[in-house]
Amino acid sequence: MKRLLLIHGAELAVFALLAAVPLAVANPYALGLLTLLAIYGILLIGLDVTVGYLGQINLGHVAFLGLGAYAAGICLTRFGLGLFPALGVATGVGILLGGLLALPALRLEGPQFALATLSFTALSFTFLNEMESLTGGAQGLSLTRPPLFGHDLTPRAFFWLCTVLLAFVWLTMRNLLHSQWGRAFEALRDSAIATDAMGIGAYRHKVAAFALGSGLGGLAGGLYAFNFQYLQPQSFVYDLMVILLLGVVLGGRKSLWGAFVGASIVVLLPNLLSNRHVFLAVSGLGFLLALGSGARGLVRKTTRPFQALAPVVAMGLLVVGGLLVKNTEDWRKAIFALMLFSVVVGLPEGLMGFAARALTRLFRVAPSPLPAPSPLDDVLPLRVADGSAFLELEDLKRHFGGVKAVDGLSMTVRSGQIHGLIGPNGSGKSTAVNVISGLYPPTSGRMRLRGRPLGTGSLYRAAQSGLARTFQNLQLFGELTALENVMVALKGVYRSPIPLVLLGLAKGEERRARADGLALLDLLGLKDQARTRAKDLTYGDQRFLEIARALARKPDLLILDEPAAGLAHPDVQRLIQTIRRIHQRGIAMILIEHHMDVVSELCTLVTVLDGGRVIAEGSPDEVKRHPKVVEAYLGQAGPGDAASEPA
Amino acid sequence: MKHHLLFSTLLTAALGLQAQGTVKIALTGPFTGGSAPMGTSMRDGAKLAIAEINAAGGIQVGGKKMKIEAIERDDEAKNERGALIAQELASMGDLAGVIGTVNTGVCMSGDRYFQEKGITKIITPAAGSASMTQWSKAGVKDLSIFRFAADDAIQSSMVVEEAIRRGYTKVGLLFDSTNYGVSGRDDLMNQIKLQGGKLQVVAQEKFNIGDKDMTAQLLRCKLGGAQAILIWGIGPELAAVANGMAKIGMKAPLIGGWTLSMSNFIDNAGRNGNGTMMPETFIEDPITPKAKAFIDGYHRTFNVGRIPSPVSAAQGYDAVYIFAAAVKQAKSTDTHKIKAALEDLKEPVKGVIATWHHPFSKWNPADERTHEAFHRQQVVMGMVQDGRVVFANAAEKAQLVKAAGK
Amino acid sequence: MNALIIGQLAVSGALMGLVYALIAYGFQLTYATSKSINFGQGELVMVSAFFSLTLLDLGVPYALMVPGGLIFGALLGLLVERTGVRLALEEKSEGWVLLTIILGLFFFSAAENIWGRDDRPFPTPLSQNPVQVFGIDITRMEISVAVGVFAIMGLIELFKRRTLLGKAFEAVSADRDAAELMGISATRTVMLSYGLSGAVAALAGILVSPITTVGPTMASAMILKAFSVAVVAGLDSGFGVVLIGMILGALEGLASFYIGSGWREAPGLVLLILALAVRPTGVFGKAGIRKV
Repeated sequence: MKRLLLIHGAELAVFALLAAVPLAVANPYALGLLTLLAIYGILLIGLDVTVGYLGQINLGHVAFLGLGAYAAGICLTRFGLGLFPALGVATGVGILLGGLLALPALRLEGPQFALATLSFTALSFTFLNEMESLTGGAQGLSLTRPPLFGHDLTPRAFFWLCTVLLAFVWLTMRNLLHSQWGRAFEALRDSAIATDAMGIGAYRHKVAAFALGSGLGGLAGGLYAFNFQYLQPQSFVYDLMVILLLGVVLGGRKSLWGAFVGASIVVLLPNLLSNRHVFLAVSGLGFLLALGSGARGLVRKTTRPFQALAPVVAMGLLVVGGLLVKNTEDWRKAIFALMLFSVVVGLPEGLMGFAARALTRLFRVAPSPLPAPSPLDDVLPLRVADGSAFLELEDLKRHFGGVKAVDGLSMTVRSGQIHGLIGPNGSGKSTAVNVISGLYPPTSGRMRLRGRPLGTGSLYRAAQSGLARTFQNLQLFGELTALENVMVALKGVYRSPIPLVLLGLAKGEERRARADGLALLDLLGLKDQARTRAKDLTYGDQRFLEIARALARKPDLLILDEPAAGLAHPDVQRLIQTIRRIHQRGIAMILIEHHMDVVSELCTLVTVLDGGRVIAEGSPDEVKRHPKVVEAYLGQAGPGDAASEPA
Repeated sequence: MKHHLLFSTLLTAALGLQAQGTVKIALTGPFTGGSAPMGTSMRDGAKLAIAEINAAGGIQVGGKKMKIEAIERDDEAKNERGALIAQELASMGDLAGVIGTVNTGVCMSGDRYFQEKGITKIITPAAGSASMTQWSKAGVKDLSIFRFAADDAIQSSMVVEEAIRRGYTKVGLLFDSTNYGVSGRDDLMNQIKLQGGKLQVVAQEKFNIGDKDMTAQLLRCKLGGAQAILIWGIGPELAAVANGMAKIGMKAPLIGGWTLSMSNFIDNAGRNGNGTMMPETFIEDPITPKAKAFIDGYHRTFNVGRIPSPVSAAQGYDAVYIFAAAVKQAKSTDTHKIKAALEDLKEPVKGVIATWHHPFSKWNPADERTHEAFHRQQVVMGMVQDGRVVFANAAEKAQLVKAAGK
Repeated sequence: MNALIIGQLAVSGALMGLVYALIAYGFQLTYATSKSINFGQGELVMVSAFFSLTLLDLGVPYALMVPGGLIFGALLGLLVERTGVRLALEEKSEGWVLLTIILGLFFFSAAENIWGRDDRPFPTPLSQNPVQVFGIDITRMEISVAVGVFAIMGLIELFKRRTLLGKAFEAVSADRDAAELMGISATRTVMLSYGLSGAVAALAGILVSPITTVGPTMASAMILKAFSVAVVAGLDSGFGVVLIGMILGALEGLASFYIGSGWREAPGLVLLILALAVRPTGVFGKAGIRKV
């Protein structure tokens, strides 16, 4: 509670301070800078959704700023719309086009995503420049700031309007990003495959994130238009985009404060650097800071030598250069570059990431306590297992070019059963699981779930029809905590429509999700690690977390892909106990495993694969003695020793 | 200890008092990026004039001599920066005036802040018509913005005149996709109509900043049978056009805005630039002693063999002298009084471009020429010949020499 | 007549496209070994061109200037690797995106102040007169670009296949971890790739400067197109960039003529987004199977 009070208190203080500035300072320049700061704050919060939460290099944001600005300008000059309707249209244009652009960009990542969005920026520039009849083309679009409720908007009033909108965006985005939506965005960044496999829906969330971020870009564009009252297409190009990107990362990703700080830097710093005194003060101070923190980092060995030295050299260059160069205005870009360089190298988490760490050390506020876990019966209700055929595979094939990874697999998993799937390396077990769970479409063959055909080639659809799986190579959402990993996958909890979430009226389901998630962590023995980030867990715990997350899907069929791989002996025992407990709740399972003892102890029926084909099926004891199985494992004395085989 | 010393030095520097008793003039323009050759030439021309005035003791303001202090601001040719800089300068309080701006868009987004506060600004060398017509359209009664550049209306009328005079009937229009190029196209089309529609425009083609392959645009002109190409753009792309014409064996002269006289066109087009014509306010040719002193002074002070944009440099130089004359006449550094003096300059100002007699007059919203210093007679036609700009018409040169002699 | 126009447009555009391809090849080299690219590659092109011009101004003969420029480019590439890329790679972060952008910004500003803001001509030993091939006009500079592009790409590909160092390069590109296990230093190989990439950028600068002139902004328009070419062809496509570069260049010329010069870039951009939507790893890229 105290922690929340502090955070909200700080937010309140900053906004109050911002709003009070025009009362104390009459300087129109300061007001102009602050107005732009508020606008860029909105813009960068929008950009942070794709860059920070989605983790993509989005070079299209500036286009939405431009399109939003022009949309608002045209609404005003052509159609005589008022201020708020025009802003609404600007936002709408951003949401719509952002959603549209997300469609082709959906499958793209990294440089490809960057290029697709960059091309969109270039295209929208060409469009704005060439549609002279609509936009005025290169000669620009002049407009006058419209009155609000019949009152002329003075610069001061307009600044307040921007601040209020920034506060509104801030609050709603905080609600959204701290909800299932924010978790889903982050999940998408860490593993798109697992996002789909957990039924969260990569597609839907990528479009939503992009549309939302772009919508904020459009809104910022509308305000931009009313602020500058003159628009030219050339303002909205790559150059500005680079600056925006720098702002987000410098401020610190995944943080509203970061976006705000980033906006302050990109708005204020280039302008302030024109003043030689400010430049000298900033560079001198920066040099001392770099020297101090670099030396400390080196002594305590918390930073690499390069990380400690490079900022010192860069800032030193500034100080020396500042004394040598007659006209610093000529070198302004280089100065800006050196300062950015020092920050990016010295503080890779951005200024806010750094500040947040420093502040938590300083105040030592305990996080709010976790709620009591829900009763397990509420989260994973007991099911009646009647032993009926649940999943039926018939002559399933999957070929990669000439490689027949799965070549005619038929098997039936019955409800309430633990069905083992074993075979030597390369026998096609994992491929079979990947086909069942929808990662690969089958080359041929049929799959039926509860007698109905199972959709193929979509992890998401498979997950929706009641399948859940774990991954042999862990696909956890590394940046999320253990609890969040489970919460993000929870099925049937999140029902509130997005407007309620935005307004912060969906807190009830959030509490419920937390309690449910804790129940599952408890089941897996991870309750004490609830707040640990998944990537910081031990390897064993990460394996268990995968199972907890899959259980959050409340699956009818759970596919465990080599859950014991790499586990130490005590953990293997813990795993066996855990699987038993899950089995008691009536959940059917497919267990792929090398450890024969695990299989023997848990499975009622085992299917053995070799070369993509079934070579034996039966109880664990039966298959162990089966001559074909012995032959397949030849060179390793017998299948009983397969346990020693490395995963 | 050392840190303390450094820190306190910085602190005093930051809080340090600004020099008192100076005339503060802001010089703004793009000093970095693609438009920088014009911006820096203008700035350096202005700084040369400031240095000369200061070396002579300063401006006589009322009873005492005051030195000029230049405040430089780089707008990077970006409207957004331009607006912020204008806000910053407008809030300074003790600013005497502003000289500069290269890009019309920057004028459009920034000048309103000067006008609101009544701060005197002399625009140079931005030539786009819109930067002055925006005020007449708005019907502003009292304007503190002046222009010291041959605006595009004058230039385009001369270009069209020249094409007609040389007996061409079919021309191609090439222009860059920026504000400058597109409004140049509009001015040219307008002038062709005004001058009796004697020119048939066979192609209207655009190019982007940074384009190097102009084949498509030129082929269209060539296929249309263009005898000359009227062009509006900036240095490097213009050179690409001239070189592209040589490549496809097209022989038609380029006639266009004064930017064709910039060294980044002349040097880069080489002999392909020969015969190119443009209206000019200043030609880097020491025909008068004043011009010679200016050119030599520029070369020496800024250590260059050639002025990147002589027109910008000369205009920046003359603008400072005209501004200084207004300060002297106003007997004050108050920007409003300087504005009033500028509208009614009593004494002629000897500049490098011309001797200026009453360059501006009281603003009349119906006629923006009241705040335009250049009229047709201050502008001559230049022609590129073997890497230099010479007078296209000998008569104009003789006239200038004669006027300077008076 | 019509065919001749199309031919002229396509050839002129395609030759320009080769320059994009050469710069794109520089992106590929570093992407192969380190999955990173230098977003300030354009500034490398520009600074190397300015440096080469300075060499010429100092009286260095043309034949010596070229290797001088290439070495300078390689050194710059190494500088970028050391200051902008290595730390990020060690920490497995994407910090290199920003750091290379920032370094580019610094190089740009430094070049403006060292060499001036103006575009300058770059001398060439070649004659200015165009030659006609089947009625299509081509300048000698354009031919030299084509020759240079194929020469350096051929040389580097040969180097990769025939020398021990080159094979190490290929090994790291194929599987970094496995190569490290075999005792190949990935860090050194990444350095090598950045050095080569810098040299390629320098060559691009030297080849293209006689056509484009040398100035601080000379590469800003080209670099975005080169980036497009590299990604659309596939960042591991080798000679694929040549074909895509030529197609993109030709497309620009034709669009400019037939659709309108203002819309010059639009068809290419639309095709580009579509191509990526259909083949995310690039037209010639290896279509990877999603693995878990």
